[in-house]
Amino acid sequence: MLDSSPHVAETPAVAEIDALHVTLRRGDQDIHAIRGMSLDIGPGEILGLVGESGSGKSVLAMSMLGLLPGDARTSGRCLVHGDDMLSAPAEVRRRRRRSSLGAVFQDPMTSLNPTMRIGAQVAEAAESDEEALRLLKAVGIPDAHRRMGAFPHELSGGLRQRVMIAMAVAGSPSLVVADEPTTALDVTVQAQVLALLRSLRDQIGCSFLLITHDLGVAARVADRVAVMYAGRLAEMGPTGVVLREAAHPYSLGLLGSRLSLGSSRTEPLATLPGEVPDPTRPPAGCPFAPRCDLVTDRCAQEPVDPVEVAPGHLSACVLPIEQVRGATEKAREKEGAPPAGTSGHPAGSSTQPQGDVAVDVRRVVKTFWVKAGRGRKQRLAALRDISLTVADGESVAIVGESGSGKSTLLRVIAGLEHAGGGEIALGHGVRPQMVFQDAGASLTPWLTVGDLIGERLRRERMSKPQRVERVAAALAQVGLPADVAGVRAAQLSGGQRQRVALARATVVPPKVLLCDEPTSALDVSLASGVINLIGRLRRELGMAVVFVTHDLSVARIVADRIAVMYLGRIVELGDAEDVVHHPRHPYTRALIGAVPDFGADPPALPGDPASPLRPPPGCSFHPRCPIAAEVCADPDLHPRLLGIGHGQVHQVACIRTEVL
Amino acid sequence: MIQLVSKRLGAMAVIILVLTAVVFALQKASPFDPVHSMLGPSASREAVAQQRHALGLDQPLPSQYWHYLTALLHADLGMSYRTRHPITADLATFLPATAELALFALVLALVLGTALAVATTLRWRGAGVLRFVLVAGASTPAFLLAIGGILIFYQLLGWLPATGRTSFTDAPTGPTGLLTLDGLLAGRPEVTLDAMGHLVLPGLALAIGPAVSIGRVLRSSLVGNRRTDYVRTAMAKGLSEGSVLRKHVVRNSLGPALSMTGLQIGLMFAGVLVIENVFSWPGIGQYTSLSIPVGDFPAIAGVTLLLGAGFVAINTIVDILQAVADPRIDV
Repeated sequence: MLDSSPHVAETPAVAEIDALHVTLRRGDQDIHAIRGMSLDIGPGEILGLVGESGSGKSVLAMSMLGLLPGDARTSGRCLVHGDDMLSAPAEVRRRRRRSSLGAVFQDPMTSLNPTMRIGAQVAEAAESDEEALRLLKAVGIPDAHRRMGAFPHELSGGLRQRVMIAMAVAGSPSLVVADEPTTALDVTVQAQVLALLRSLRDQIGCSFLLITHDLGVAARVADRVAVMYAGRLAEMGPTGVVLREAAHPYSLGLLGSRLSLGSSRTEPLATLPGEVPDPTRPPAGCPFAPRCDLVTDRCAQEPVDPVEVAPGHLSACVLPIEQVRGATEKAREKEGAPPAGTSGHPAGSSTQPQGDVAVDVRRVVKTFWVKAGRGRKQRLAALRDISLTVADGESVAIVGESGSGKSTLLRVIAGLEHAGGGEIALGHGVRPQMVFQDAGASLTPWLTVGDLIGERLRRERMSKPQRVERVAAALAQVGLPADVAGVRAAQLSGGQRQRVALARATVVPPKVLLCDEPTSALDVSLASGVINLIGRLRRELGMAVVFVTHDLSVARIVADRIAVMYLGRIVELGDAEDVVHHPRHPYTRALIGAVPDFGADPPALPGDPASPLRPPPGCSFHPRCPIAAEVCADPDLHPRLLGIGHGQVHQVACIRTEVL
Repeated sequence: MIQLVSKRLGAMAVIILVLTAVVFALQKASPFDPVHSMLGPSASREAVAQQRHALGLDQPLPSQYWHYLTALLHADLGMSYRTRHPITADLATFLPATAELALFALVLALVLGTALAVATTLRWRGAGVLRFVLVAGASTPAFLLAIGGILIFYQLLGWLPATGRTSFTDAPTGPTGLLTLDGLLAGRPEVTLDAMGHLVLPGLALAIGPAVSIGRVLRSSLVGNRRTDYVRTAMAKGLSEGSVLRKHVVRNSLGPALSMTGLQIGLMFAGVLVIENVFSWPGIGQYTSLSIPVGDFPAIAGVTLLLGAGFVAINTIVDILQAVADPRIDV
């Protein structure tokens, strides 16, 4: 897939974007969202458009669909089959959307009408019920006939996104704009959806503009990759070339800060310094210049247009490509020997919990009663007999897909939920502190950062100047200047908010820090910074950390040990490196296979994660398991974690491990 | 669905039961002595005692309440002290006029509210004027609006009648009791037209406040819904603006407007009492305002129960409609 580019440059492009500028009005400010983009999409091509939040990639998508807000100011052209989606009359644009374009958006829950049946929604695009049914079958919706009558909330996330895709490809469009189509999905489902997109391209021959923040996603399916930064094209070329021989310093930075299962655990993750420029005041020169290590005097003067550095490979950098590559290699060599103590991990990660116990979870059970349609209540077994010990200063990651119970476990440890059975002992009796995924929502909007952090000092007797000093010290510890204390959360960027949340959690150093997906809402370069910070805080303050994440590559970096959860049970537990590189449970193996990585492309795990409302009997994973035997479905089977290898630190709950 | 409806109906029965208890308690706590109201101040001590016994007022309270409830189940609300008729019969006489006025006002409120919401959402020409007129109307007390309406449209212009339901002395009295309908059924369209004319002023005075409340709620949910992801999806499908609005925006905006309508009907019942007096409308409102000064408590209690039960019934229907409109609602 990486090297096949069946598209000859001479064939007429499906879409041509030429010198596109888009300025949006927000309040009384101009947002310069796109500032000169040119690109073509060939017939049957999958173009991966990669960029961080604020790069303008979604605005580009709306431009192609002709759906920019009415007050947007545009220049340049955005042609789809010869019609300019910027300037053509509304009726022409609408007909283009109807006949030639399809769209898939990020969140399939909100992108489907909640009060309209699936079949009716697809039929709106497909013109008839028969065609809608055929499309639903074509995108792999099991039992499609019955699902036609279902409402969106009755489907799983993966199925909803398949419904969106069915609507997008209705009427055989020539271009489908897919804006972050897999970001809201679990990894195993993401792999399925990406495979579906590619097979639809092969069957229908339509082109895809696949917008994503994740280079790994683009690497998996795109023929070509375009990297956007601050409204401009940074680099574009065949996928393999951009990933292996990137020519733009920003692409190199993005590639460098991207976590993979092979990232080094013994040194701090590479991060991009600084943040994306303010779109209301874009810089005159190269927008990446303020964050670039190789910046020269020429960079800041005038915008740099993309130039061809190799056939079909464009890069917008004034420096010769040899200089860019040479500099990154040099930087890499210099990083080869990290100064002692910068690592997020004690040397030689200990797997045997040492010292006192910080958190002891023993046979914990948690059951919710949820409304299950028409007034009935249903049992949701969120945690089914969980035991886990975290030693003082140890970091344990809990990995699982949605519905695995990982967040519930964290909330039970935090004391935010009562366990329905079993015991939870905290070694020091002190309440742990918690950091959440959405830092914006977890910071009270009308309080200043100083108030938010100072709140936790209320119990300690101290004068006001002392308190101000403590707050400033806490901010300094998370790498924020002291004057941040005076602002409110809304004025901060996502990365800064997460740092404030960490400062609040650590101003009185807790013995245990609980993190619920603290990096999954952040861009890659910022996420790396937050992960480095958590590692440093943990070491400096001697905290134990329990880190919930859906991302195995994050888990491997932050944790000494990894616990993999599936439907309320821990199915594998062991040393982080062991679990990732020598997984024993078939589910862990599937999870690792589904992590989008360059070059790797194992077959996707079939099926959706089963619902915790109806966990399958026996081993809950058996319906999706490639090595399941008849006994695995036995309702009397309760797979227990059993040690394997010497030391028995690596534990697996599978009765079929000998098959592997 | 069946479960939902039965659950709502059960809740409705409980609320009405509580309402009867409250009304009963108020009756007992009120300073008016029903026996004195009936017999007058000069009645003899024996006559009073005899009447007390006849009314069952010498029994303990729980048993009085029990008798009250069983009578209610037989549609027996007692006798009015003032008219000396069974209250059920009185209500049957006066209810149709009020029902016609309230229904007309409700339809008017819905039409005006929807017009306000749609016009301001789509920024139609003249939306500003409509909004100004309605909001100004809604910020004026209903009785003032009514008096102003009479001064302008009756006295000054002479376009509309100011009092009563009809100008005919031989207007049909059945079968529905609603003059607009009865006129048509009796083959006398002139009666219907005349009744409509009588309805305009009191109807408007009642409807403008609720219209603005309903319109505002509807507008904010229309605006909110137009920004949703699924509307973006519908636009991306290449549907026309009209069908996006009809199929995706409007239906999802109805829920909040429906609950607001349910609440406004309650306020409208209260408004009816005042408006009927201003327009000499021969309905429940007038009946009540004649009953209050003479302490005709059975009549007041009857009206309270009737309007209360009506309000609860309407809000039960609103709840059920909301569940029909939104499949995610599960009460």
